[in-house]
Amino acid sequence: MRVLFFAQLKDATGCNAVDLAAASPLNTPQLWTELVQRFPALAAHRPNVRLARNWEYAAPDAIFADNDEVALLPPVSGG
Amino acid sequence: MEIEIQLTDQPIAEKFLPPTQLGVVGAWLEFRGVVRGEENGQTIRALEYEAYPEMAGREIRRLLQEISARHPCRAAKVIHRVGVIPVGETAIYVGVASPHRGEAIALLAEFMDRLKQDVPIWKRRAIADGADSVGRVTPCAPVEVRLPSSGGQGTARPTLKSLDEALAEIRSHSRPLPAVRTPLAEALGSVLRETICAPEDLPPVDRSTRDGYAIRADDASKTFSVVDTIHAADWKPRQLKTGEAVRVATGAALPCKGLRVVMQEHVERDGDKLHVVRRENSTNVRLRSEEVRQGQPLVSAGTKLHAGALAILATVGNVNPLVSPRLRILHFTTGDEIVPPDKTPKPGQIRDSNSILIRGLLQNFPCDVEQGHLPEDFERAKSAISNQQSAIGNADVLLVSGGASVGEKDFTRALLEQLGFGIVFSQINLRPGRPLIFGVNGSRVAFGLPGNPLSHFVCFHFAVATALAGLTGGQPPKFFRGQLAEKLDDKPYPRETLWPARWEWRVGQTFLSASSGDFPVACADNANTGQECPANQQTGMSALHLLAWASSGDITCLAAANALIRVPANCAGLSNGAKVDFLPLAAMIGGGL
Repeated sequence: MRVLFFAQLKDATGCNAVDLAAASPLNTPQLWTELVQRFPALAAHRPNVRLARNWEYAAPDAIFADNDEVALLPPVSGG
Repeated sequence: MEIEIQLTDQPIAEKFLPPTQLGVVGAWLEFRGVVRGEENGQTIRALEYEAYPEMAGREIRRLLQEISARHPCRAAKVIHRVGVIPVGETAIYVGVASPHRGEAIALLAEFMDRLKQDVPIWKRRAIADGADSVGRVTPCAPVEVRLPSSGGQGTARPTLKSLDEALAEIRSHSRPLPAVRTPLAEALGSVLRETICAPEDLPPVDRSTRDGYAIRADDASKTFSVVDTIHAADWKPRQLKTGEAVRVATGAALPCKGLRVVMQEHVERDGDKLHVVRRENSTNVRLRSEEVRQGQPLVSAGTKLHAGALAILATVGNVNPLVSPRLRILHFTTGDEIVPPDKTPKPGQIRDSNSILIRGLLQNFPCDVEQGHLPEDFERAKSAISNQQSAIGNADVLLVSGGASVGEKDFTRALLEQLGFGIVFSQINLRPGRPLIFGVNGSRVAFGLPGNPLSHFVCFHFAVATALAGLTGGQPPKFFRGQLAEKLDDKPYPRETLWPARWEWRVGQTFLSASSGDFPVACADNANTGQECPANQQTGMSALHLLAWASSGDITCLAAANALIRVPANCAGLSNGAKVDFLPLAAMIGGGL
């Protein structure tokens, strides 16, 4: 699955996006485990980050599958 | 409610007209959020905004729809600017039309509150009056941020960029031009600038996939009365009773839910009576929303509209999509040694191959191309261009092909500066193509292309194509991983090389040409993710044949080249099978990848 990073998360990970090869669909905690393993700096942001799946905010029980576009969204500040 | 949403990195217009033809509109309320000159107590000169465009547009729409259920309004227009926004300029514009002012004011107030909670847009950094960044979301590495140029006063920077640096410069200066609504018939090849979602379920009703007879799915009768006939274009809703059948054509809208269709080959008909001889497992019904649910994205913003995407837009009635504008491109050849291709060159002269090369390469982009020739004498060239000031002023992209003679580089550079372009770089650490010049003037870009045809070919594909993608909001050319099909013997060369190559697909020992129709789709997808294709023999591998060339004046390799391989600087050669990065040349393969 494609995972996108925005705003300060780009600085934390050093990239805009990463392709995560998951053998099976992941629930939210599993997704975070994968991501933090790869980018330890993300751990500090986790309490404030909302997840989106295919351009919509993901519910806490969302399942993230291989062809999903996932986004990590830090607190927004538009307008 | 009519909703219009734009994310743009261009300044937001000073004035918008209220919507017309919306019936009883009594209030037109406008709001502009502008960038304050202060952030966290420090004076700043700009804020940089970032968005997740695909999702931001959807969230804005969702919020407007949700809030307008409580505060009914007729229309809303929301424009959020992203990128670097100087102090005093508009970051967000919202216009709301409603029958009376109360609804519009309530909707606007709630919308702005919700936007700041839910819409994925961020103030990325504040740009201080001094050099340093400040701001609440700013603890990030210093990234070069440039305010939009206000005119031709670009600054010359140190030259000899690497290929990656040059590409980054081109990308950062080639920003999407304002999108325009364009009739479908003229939109082929343009870049879609809004995500098109399904306005309704597809299909919108249950449809028959066979010529036959619709009956209730739960009806086990053997004999039926035929109560109606429905042709493909008919819409005749009715509730079918047990024992009733309706004659339907393939594609016909079924009269109600919960039906199945018995093929006409499986019945015997006698007047209004029908006897079912055989029933298949299949219901022969294409169910409502089987293909697409209402609101689901069909074609994403950033898609280059090909025939298939246009067909989808036509299906959902989007006849005026918001797309990149047609680019206006002005191309000059220079050099007194150039003669038109239909003339016989005298000793010392050569035929002009660059005009037709550029024209052909631009076919892949919706644009209007004007071409001309400039004399080599600078004063004469200046007077020639002064006659074309309006064409030059209107051009989004200016291309100048240098001649091959001594001093032409300085000539092109001086010419671009004369025309108000700031030179971003005038040399790159690359062969061929070292004397490539890149200039900007506001939103307009210019290239001075080294005169040799091979240099032209190479510079167009990595540099000009990147700028055109930026201006249209499309996907820039991208490097993929592939494998050399033979070894590269080369003397170590101090600059990076883009080596002309022929790209094919290899499965096992078989080479498949990209144009043969045998192209394995699964692997093409894999390549699109930027991932390395597995070298496994079943799935195949991009195989790259090196083409012979000795100097940037060589032209014969253009007959076969459809890829450029990145060969690192000081590389003494590469073995057969070595992994390399290559740029597939969409224009040479036939369409986008």
